[in-house]
Amino acid sequence: MTRPPGRVLAAVTAALVALPAALLVACGGPGAEGPAGTPARPAASSPAGRPTGQAGRAARPLPRSVPVELRIPVIGVDTPVMRLGLAPDGTVQVPPVTAHDQAGWYGHSPTPGQVGPSVLLGHVTVGRYGDGVFRHLSRLRRGDRIEARLGNGTTAVFTVGSVRTVAKAHFPAREVYGDVDRPELRLITCGGPRTGNGYADNVIVFATLTAGTPPG
Amino acid sequence: MRRTVLSALALACTAVLASTVPAFADGGSPTTAPRKTPTAAPAEPGKTAPTPVPTEQAPSAEPTVPGTKPTAPRPVPTTAPTRAPSRGQVAVVPKGAPDTGVAVKTSQSGPDAAVIGGSAAGAALLAGGAAVFVVRRRRATGA
Repeated sequence: MTRPPGRVLAAVTAALVALPAALLVACGGPGAEGPAGTPARPAASSPAGRPTGQAGRAARPLPRSVPVELRIPVIGVDTPVMRLGLAPDGTVQVPPVTAHDQAGWYGHSPTPGQVGPSVLLGHVTVGRYGDGVFRHLSRLRRGDRIEARLGNGTTAVFTVGSVRTVAKAHFPAREVYGDVDRPELRLITCGGPRTGNGYADNVIVFATLTAGTPPG
Repeated sequence: MRRTVLSALALACTAVLASTVPAFADGGSPTTAPRKTPTAAPAEPGKTAPTPVPTEQAPSAEPTVPGTKPTAPRPVPTTAPTRAPSRGQVAVVPKGAPDTGVAVKTSQSGPDAAVIGGSAAGAALLAGGAAVFVVRRRRATGA
Protein backbone atom coordinates (compact mmCIF):
# COMPACT_ATOMS: atom_id res chain seq x y z
CA MET A 1 0.00 0.00 0.00
CA THR A 2 2.10 2.74 -1.30
CA ARG A 3 0.56 6.11 -1.20
CA PRO A 4 1.37 8.51 -3.97
CA PRO A 5 3.88 11.20 -3.03
CA GLY A 6 1.25 13.87 -3.54
CA ARG A 7 -0.82 12.45 -0.69
CA VAL A 8 2.19 12.42 1.59
CA LEU A 9 2.80 16.05 0.89
CA ALA A 10 -0.85 16.86 1.44
CA ALA A 11 -0.83 15.13 4.83
CA VAL A 12 2.26 17.00 5.95
CA THR A 13 0.85 20.28 4.73
CA ALA A 14 -2.38 19.67 6.63
CA ALA A 15 -0.41 19.00 9.80
CA LEU A 16 1.49 22.24 9.37
CA VAL A 17 -1.71 24.18 8.88
CA ALA A 18 -3.32 22.58 11.92
CA LEU A 19 -0.35 23.36 14.14
CA PRO A 20 -0.59 27.16 14.31
CA ALA A 21 -4.36 26.93 14.34
CA ALA A 22 -4.22 24.79 17.46
CA LEU A 23 -1.91 27.30 19.10
CA LEU A 24 -4.22 30.16 18.30
CA VAL A 25 -7.22 28.40 19.75
CA ALA A 26 -5.35 27.64 22.95
CA CYS A 27 -4.20 31.24 23.42
CA GLY A 28 -7.67 32.51 22.76
CA GLY A 29 -9.18 30.50 25.59
CA PRO A 30 -9.00 31.71 29.14
CA GLY A 31 -6.23 34.13 28.32
CA ALA A 32 -8.42 36.12 25.99
CA GLU A 33 -10.46 37.50 28.80
CA GLY A 34 -7.40 39.17 30.16
CA PRO A 35 -6.65 42.83 30.29
CA ALA A 36 -5.51 42.92 26.73
CA GLY A 37 -7.07 41.88 23.55
CA THR A 38 -10.64 41.29 22.66
CA PRO A 39 -12.74 40.36 25.61
CA ALA A 40 -14.59 37.10 25.30
CA ARG A 41 -17.56 37.22 27.58
CA PRO A 42 -19.91 34.28 27.47
CA ALA A 43 -23.15 35.55 26.04
CA ALA A 44 -25.35 33.30 28.13
CA SER A 45 -23.95 34.06 31.56
CA SER A 46 -25.54 37.34 32.42
CA PRO A 47 -26.20 37.15 36.11
CA ALA A 48 -27.60 40.59 36.63
CA GLY A 49 -27.26 44.21 35.81
CA ARG A 50 -27.69 44.14 32.05
CA PRO A 51 -30.65 46.45 31.75
CA THR A 52 -31.09 47.83 28.30
CA GLY A 53 -28.01 47.66 26.16
CA GLN A 54 -27.97 51.43 25.95
CA ALA A 55 -26.30 54.01 28.09
CA GLY A 56 -29.61 55.57 29.12
CA ARG A 57 -30.38 59.11 30.14
CA ALA A 58 -28.56 60.98 32.82
CA ALA A 59 -30.27 61.24 36.17
CA ARG A 60 -30.32 64.19 38.50
CA PRO A 61 -27.10 64.86 40.34
CA LEU A 62 -26.72 63.58 43.88
CA PRO A 63 -25.36 65.48 46.87
CA ARG A 64 -21.75 64.98 47.76
CA SER A 65 -21.04 61.81 49.67
CA VAL A 66 -17.95 59.69 49.43
CA PRO A 67 -18.26 56.19 47.93
CA VAL A 68 -17.88 53.27 50.30
CA GLU A 69 -18.71 50.32 48.06
CA LEU A 70 -18.65 49.53 44.36
CA ARG A 71 -20.68 46.81 42.68
CA ILE A 72 -20.51 45.70 39.07
CA PRO A 73 -22.79 42.66 38.95
CA VAL A 74 -22.02 41.58 35.41
CA ILE A 75 -18.35 40.94 36.19
CA GLY A 76 -18.81 39.97 39.82
CA VAL A 77 -17.23 43.03 41.41
CA ASP A 78 -18.35 43.85 44.95
CA THR A 79 -15.67 45.74 46.77
CA PRO A 80 -15.19 48.33 49.44
CA VAL A 81 -13.83 51.64 48.21
CA MET A 82 -10.90 53.46 49.74
CA ARG A 83 -9.85 57.03 49.30
CA LEU A 84 -6.87 57.80 47.09
CA GLY A 85 -4.80 60.92 46.72
CA LEU A 86 -1.68 61.87 44.88
CA ALA A 87 1.65 60.11 45.04
CA PRO A 88 4.74 62.25 45.67
CA ASP A 89 5.56 62.22 41.98
CA GLY A 90 2.20 63.73 41.10
CA THR A 91 0.65 60.56 39.76
CA VAL A 92 -2.54 59.22 41.19
CA GLN A 93 -2.23 56.83 44.11
CA VAL A 94 -3.40 53.30 43.54
CA PRO A 95 -4.80 50.81 46.04
CA PRO A 96 -2.26 48.62 47.83
CA VAL A 97 -1.16 45.39 46.18
CA THR A 98 -2.67 42.83 48.51
CA ALA A 99 -4.38 39.49 48.32
CA HIS A 100 -7.86 40.98 48.51
CA ASP A 101 -7.34 44.31 46.89
CA GLN A 102 -10.10 46.84 46.59
CA ALA A 103 -11.06 49.76 44.44
CA GLY A 104 -10.14 53.33 45.28
CA TRP A 105 -11.81 56.66 44.67
CA TYR A 106 -9.60 59.54 43.63
CA GLY A 107 -10.40 62.06 46.34
CA HIS A 108 -9.78 65.14 44.22
CA SER A 109 -12.53 64.13 41.82
CA PRO A 110 -16.26 64.56 42.42
CA THR A 111 -17.99 61.91 44.43
CA PRO A 112 -20.14 59.52 42.37
CA GLY A 113 -23.36 61.26 41.45
CA GLN A 114 -22.00 64.78 41.58
CA VAL A 115 -21.68 66.67 38.34
CA GLY A 116 -18.27 65.86 36.92
CA PRO A 117 -16.09 62.83 36.34
CA SER A 118 -15.81 60.71 39.46
CA VAL A 119 -12.68 58.58 39.12
CA LEU A 120 -12.27 55.13 40.62
CA LEU A 121 -9.25 52.90 40.17
CA GLY A 122 -8.43 49.26 40.76
CA HIS A 123 -5.79 46.73 39.87
CA VAL A 124 -6.15 44.25 37.06
CA THR A 125 -3.61 41.91 38.65
CA VAL A 126 -1.81 42.12 41.95
CA GLY A 127 1.44 40.28 41.27
CA ARG A 128 1.84 37.08 43.21
CA TYR A 129 -1.68 37.44 44.59
CA GLY A 130 -3.21 36.90 41.18
CA ASP A 131 -6.25 38.69 39.84
CA GLY A 132 -7.08 42.19 40.93
CA VAL A 133 -10.50 43.59 41.68
CA PHE A 134 -10.76 45.04 38.14
CA ARG A 135 -9.47 41.90 36.42
CA HIS A 136 -12.44 41.70 34.07
CA LEU A 137 -13.14 45.39 33.62
CA SER A 138 -12.47 45.14 29.91
CA ARG A 139 -15.44 42.79 29.62
CA LEU A 140 -17.88 45.57 30.33
CA ARG A 141 -20.04 46.69 27.49
CA ARG A 142 -22.30 49.60 26.74
CA GLY A 143 -25.42 49.36 28.85
CA ASP A 144 -23.90 47.43 31.74
CA ARG A 145 -24.79 48.58 35.23
CA ILE A 146 -22.42 49.94 37.86
CA GLU A 147 -23.52 50.75 41.41
CA ALA A 148 -21.66 52.97 43.82
CA ARG A 149 -22.96 52.98 47.37
CA LEU A 150 -22.28 56.26 49.08
CA GLY A 151 -21.57 57.09 52.68
CA ASN A 152 -25.01 58.64 53.14
CA GLY A 153 -26.71 55.40 52.14
CA THR A 154 -27.63 56.44 48.63
CA THR A 155 -26.73 54.19 45.73
CA ALA A 156 -25.61 55.92 42.56
CA VAL A 157 -26.43 53.77 39.56
CA PHE A 158 -24.34 54.30 36.45
CA THR A 159 -24.66 52.84 32.98
CA VAL A 160 -21.64 52.11 30.85
CA GLY A 161 -21.34 54.26 27.77
CA SER A 162 -18.03 53.04 26.41
CA VAL A 163 -14.94 51.04 27.28
CA ARG A 164 -11.59 52.06 25.87
CA THR A 165 -8.13 50.57 25.95
CA VAL A 166 -5.48 53.23 25.47
CA ALA A 167 -1.72 53.25 25.57
CA LYS A 168 -0.36 54.66 28.81
CA ALA A 169 1.91 56.87 26.78
CA HIS A 170 -1.18 58.52 25.33
CA PHE A 171 -3.40 58.54 28.39
CA PRO A 172 -6.41 60.77 27.59
CA ALA A 173 -6.22 62.97 30.68
CA ARG A 174 -8.63 65.53 29.31
CA GLU A 175 -11.31 62.93 28.58
CA VAL A 176 -10.84 61.27 31.94
CA TYR A 177 -10.43 64.26 34.23
CA GLY A 178 -11.93 67.04 32.11
CA ASP A 179 -15.15 68.83 33.00
CA VAL A 180 -18.48 67.41 31.91
CA ASP A 181 -22.02 68.71 32.28
CA ARG A 182 -23.53 65.72 34.07
CA PRO A 183 -22.58 63.12 36.70
CA GLU A 184 -20.22 60.62 35.17
CA LEU A 185 -17.98 57.82 36.33
CA ARG A 186 -14.55 56.68 35.23
CA LEU A 187 -13.24 53.24 36.13
CA ILE A 188 -9.57 52.77 35.39
CA THR A 189 -7.30 49.77 35.44
CA CYS A 190 -4.38 48.44 33.44
CA GLY A 191 -4.46 46.29 30.35
CA GLY A 192 -2.81 45.46 27.10
CA PRO A 193 0.54 43.74 26.69
CA ARG A 194 2.76 43.30 29.68
CA THR A 195 5.85 45.43 29.99
CA GLY A 196 8.21 44.06 32.58
CA ASN A 197 6.30 44.21 35.81
CA GLY A 198 3.32 46.12 34.51
CA TYR A 199 1.14 46.76 31.50
CA ALA A 200 1.41 48.99 28.46
CA ASP A 201 -2.20 50.16 28.36
CA ASN A 202 -5.02 51.42 30.51
CA VAL A 203 -8.59 50.19 30.32
CA ILE A 204 -11.02 53.04 30.96
CA VAL A 205 -14.76 52.65 31.45
CA PHE A 206 -16.88 55.74 30.83
CA ALA A 207 -20.28 55.64 32.50
CA THR A 208 -23.15 58.03 33.19
CA LEU A 209 -25.41 58.36 36.21
CA THR A 210 -28.81 56.95 35.32
CA ALA A 211 -30.42 56.59 38.73
CA GLY A 212 -29.95 57.39 42.37
CA THR A 213 -31.69 55.21 44.86
CA PRO A 214 -32.29 56.63 48.33
CA PRO A 215 -31.11 54.80 51.42
CA GLY A 216 -33.07 51.65 51.91
CA MET B 1 13.03 17.17 -5.78
CA ARG B 2 10.81 15.58 -3.20
CA ARG B 3 13.63 15.55 -0.69
CA THR B 4 13.99 19.28 -1.18
CA VAL B 5 10.29 19.83 -0.62
CA LEU B 6 10.28 17.70 2.50
CA SER B 7 13.30 19.50 3.86
CA ALA B 8 11.58 22.83 3.30
CA LEU B 9 8.49 21.61 5.13
CA ALA B 10 10.56 20.42 8.07
CA LEU B 11 12.27 23.78 8.18
CA ALA B 12 8.94 25.59 8.14
CA CYS B 13 7.68 23.40 10.95
CA THR B 14 10.74 24.24 13.03
CA ALA B 15 10.25 27.93 12.32
CA VAL B 16 6.65 27.80 13.48
CA LEU B 17 7.63 26.19 16.74
CA ALA B 18 10.50 28.58 17.28
CA SER B 19 8.29 31.59 16.69
CA THR B 20 5.83 30.47 19.32
CA VAL B 21 8.42 30.34 22.07
CA PRO B 22 9.08 34.12 22.40
CA ALA B 23 5.37 34.79 22.43
CA PHE B 24 5.00 32.68 25.53
CA ALA B 25 8.15 33.90 27.20
CA ASP B 26 6.25 36.57 29.07
CA GLY B 27 3.62 34.20 30.24
CA GLY B 28 3.58 31.98 33.22
CA SER B 29 6.15 29.37 32.40
CA PRO B 30 7.29 27.90 35.66
CA THR B 31 10.87 28.58 36.57
CA THR B 32 13.03 27.67 39.49
CA ALA B 33 14.34 31.17 39.99
CA PRO B 34 14.77 32.01 43.66
CA ARG B 35 11.88 34.01 45.00
CA LYS B 36 11.71 36.43 47.83
CA THR B 37 10.17 35.00 50.91
CA PRO B 38 6.85 36.58 51.62
CA THR B 39 6.97 39.25 54.24
CA ALA B 40 4.41 39.96 56.85
CA ALA B 41 3.51 43.30 55.33
CA PRO B 42 0.59 42.94 52.96
CA ALA B 43 1.50 45.86 50.75
CA GLU B 44 4.24 45.89 48.15
CA PRO B 45 7.28 47.93 49.11
CA GLY B 46 7.36 51.38 47.64
CA LYS B 47 3.61 51.76 47.58
CA THR B 48 2.11 54.27 49.90
CA ALA B 49 -0.93 53.01 51.65
CA PRO B 50 -3.93 55.17 50.89
CA THR B 51 -6.32 55.97 53.65
CA PRO B 52 -9.64 54.23 53.85
CA VAL B 53 -12.70 56.17 52.99
CA PRO B 54 -14.63 57.26 56.03
CA THR B 55 -18.05 55.77 56.13
CA GLU B 56 -19.72 58.98 57.15
CA GLN B 57 -20.12 62.06 55.10
CA ALA B 58 -17.54 64.44 56.43
CA PRO B 59 -17.98 68.03 55.35
CA SER B 60 -21.68 68.75 55.55
CA ALA B 61 -23.91 69.71 58.45
CA GLU B 62 -21.60 69.82 61.37
CA PRO B 63 -23.69 69.07 64.47
CA THR B 64 -24.08 72.01 66.82
CA VAL B 65 -24.60 71.53 70.48
CA PRO B 66 -27.00 74.07 72.06
CA GLY B 67 -25.21 76.62 74.13
CA THR B 68 -21.89 76.29 72.42
CA LYS B 69 -20.40 78.74 70.00
CA PRO B 70 -20.09 77.57 66.46
CA THR B 71 -16.49 76.93 65.71
CA ALA B 72 -14.65 77.72 62.57
CA PRO B 73 -14.62 74.99 59.95
CA ARG B 74 -11.78 72.61 60.41
CA PRO B 75 -9.47 71.75 57.56
CA VAL B 76 -10.32 68.51 55.86
CA PRO B 77 -7.65 65.97 56.76
CA THR B 78 -6.79 64.76 53.30
CA THR B 79 -3.52 64.23 51.57
CA ALA B 80 -2.14 67.60 50.62
CA PRO B 81 -1.92 67.89 46.87
CA THR B 82 1.55 68.33 45.52
CA ARG B 83 0.31 70.19 42.48
CA ALA B 84 -1.51 73.44 42.16
CA PRO B 85 -5.26 72.87 42.21
CA SER B 86 -7.02 73.40 38.94
CA ARG B 87 -10.34 75.16 38.61
CA GLY B 88 -12.06 72.18 37.06
CA GLN B 89 -14.36 69.62 38.55
CA VAL B 90 -11.32 67.48 39.27
CA ALA B 91 -9.47 69.71 41.69
CA VAL B 92 -6.02 68.30 40.98
CA VAL B 93 -5.34 66.48 37.75
CA PRO B 94 -2.76 63.73 38.31
CA LYS B 95 0.26 63.34 36.11
CA GLY B 96 0.52 60.53 33.64
CA ALA B 97 -1.35 57.27 33.58
CA PRO B 98 -2.35 55.21 36.62
CA ASP B 99 -0.22 52.17 37.33
CA THR B 100 -2.97 49.77 38.26
CA GLY B 101 -1.50 46.40 37.48
CA VAL B 102 1.38 44.37 38.83
CA ALA B 103 1.96 41.54 36.43
CA VAL B 104 1.72 37.98 37.63
CA LYS B 105 5.14 36.62 38.51
CA THR B 106 6.64 33.80 36.52
CA SER B 107 6.62 31.37 39.44
CA GLN B 108 2.86 31.27 39.31
CA SER B 109 1.64 29.03 36.57
CA GLY B 110 -2.04 29.54 36.44
CA PRO B 111 -4.58 27.98 34.15
CA ASP B 112 -3.41 30.13 31.24
CA ALA B 113 0.11 28.83 31.55
CA ALA B 114 -1.15 25.28 31.69
CA VAL B 115 -3.15 25.76 28.52
CA ILE B 116 -0.27 27.37 26.68
CA GLY B 117 2.19 24.76 27.85
CA GLY B 118 -0.16 21.99 26.86
CA SER B 119 -0.73 23.44 23.44
CA ALA B 120 3.00 23.83 22.85
CA ALA B 121 3.61 20.24 23.84
CA GLY B 122 0.80 19.13 21.57
CA ALA B 123 2.23 21.11 18.70
CA ALA B 124 5.66 19.59 19.19
CA LEU B 125 4.13 16.13 19.26
CA LEU B 126 2.21 16.86 16.09
CA ALA B 127 5.30 18.09 14.31
CA GLY B 128 7.30 15.09 15.44
CA GLY B 129 4.60 12.73 14.26
CA ALA B 130 4.50 14.41 10.90
CA ALA B 131 8.27 14.08 10.53
CA VAL B 132 8.20 10.38 11.43
CA PHE B 133 5.37 9.84 9.01
CA VAL B 134 7.29 11.50 6.21
CA VAL B 135 10.43 9.53 6.88
CA ARG B 136 8.55 6.24 6.93
CA ARG B 137 6.77 7.06 3.72
CA ARG B 138 10.03 7.96 2.11
CA ARG B 139 11.56 4.67 3.16
CA ALA B 140 8.51 2.76 2.03
CA THR B 141 8.51 4.36 -1.38
CA GLY B 142 12.29 4.10 -1.68
CA ALA B 143 12.77 7.77 -2.33
